Amino acid sequence: MNLPKIDLSTLPDLDRLTGVFGSLSENAGLAASNDSIVVLMAFIYEVTSK
Amino acid sequence: MIIHPDLAALRDDDTPQRLAQDYLAGLRDGWRQSAAAAAILADLAAFDTSRPLADYPALASLFGSDGGAQTRCFTGSFVAAMARGLGEAPLGHVPVRHFTDGVMSMLMLARHGNVTLSLVAMDGRGLARRPRPSTVSFAPMESWEHVLAGTGTAELVERGAVTSERADLRSRDIVLRPGETIRCDGGRQALVVRDVEGCLVTLRLQRRRKGADVACEYRLADGALVHQAAGNPRDSRIETMLALLGGMNRADAAPHAAAIVLGEGSDGLRWQALRECLALDTLAGFTALRELADRDGDTLAAPARSLRDRLTAAYPQLAGVSPCPV
Repeated sequence: MNLPKIDLSTLPDLDRLTGVFGSLSENAGLAASNDSIVVLMAFIYEVTSK
Repeated sequence: MIIHPDLAALRDDDTPQRLAQDYLAGLRDGWRQSAAAAAILADLAAFDTSRPLADYPALASLFGSDGGAQTRCFTGSFVAAMARGLGEAPLGHVPVRHFTDGVMSMLMLARHGNVTLSLVAMDGRGLARRPRPSTVSFAPMESWEHVLAGTGTAELVERGAVTSERADLRSRDIVLRPGETIRCDGGRQALVVRDVEGCLVTLRLQRRRKGADVACEYRLADGALVHQAAGNPRDSRIETMLALLGGMNRADAAPHAAAIVLGEGSDGLRWQALRECLALDTLAGFTALRELADRDGDTLAAPARSLRDRLTAAYPQLAGVSPCPV
């Protein structure tokens, strides 16, 4: 069967997008009780260092 | 620019740096095995379940009403070991995950799976200079926070009825005093520290819930949903990996992507997996899409049906794709 090759950019996203773990829209999390910032920093560190 | 000779020497020979790190890591490992910490850390490793905290007596003792002395002993012995280590090896880094922005500082003393235990310090003067937070975030997790030192006030915000666009938010002020423990069910409660006298130091235990829930951020003024994010780092890691495999055109990853589409992850992750799968391998992607569209009770069934119909209209040959043999 000869199937088309579908371009990723033509495929729709869901109506509401989900950001990466730890992402926030504004300055909401710094005074909040959440460990996501440490996990996120370590995640970025670990993917950018050896 | 002035560079201290000790630092300049590290460019040619980083042995002192590595020795300093080894020394601090040794102190940390010694603390982990000490009488003050070993039983607690063993409990923490076992706590990555859905069982209640009371089932883990050593860990629970840090957050009980009479746990002040034990909590100070546990955290104090770590801080003393690290302070001694930095005194002797000032070029070392404290060998645990950490973060500071000058106002809030965190040392992650231990972690296992979805459980983390962190020492948190918040500077009152720095906090007062910051704009008040205008939003609040609810994440799928539980937390226990024991105040070790300092006083402050916080707002405990509760999320009531929820629609796709907003939530009913109610809040009440609570006073933070040494010896108190505040427990939050993060799916419906969030603690926002408002004011701190001096420096507020807390020990914070968090356990992320397994599952597909997302973290939702709402505007405090009117409860409007302004952002949502993955509820656990695993979803974001997988999504990043899928994007990379898609960028590399690794069609051999398509079956794995299809398994994620039909698995138990969050809607956002599964939909991104579907997009990548369709782009990598039309047959595997469309087969997964059709199975998703035919599912009863799946929240992605409706957008999957809409995409299936759109693709079938654009590419009529897709109508001939037969279902997977059972």
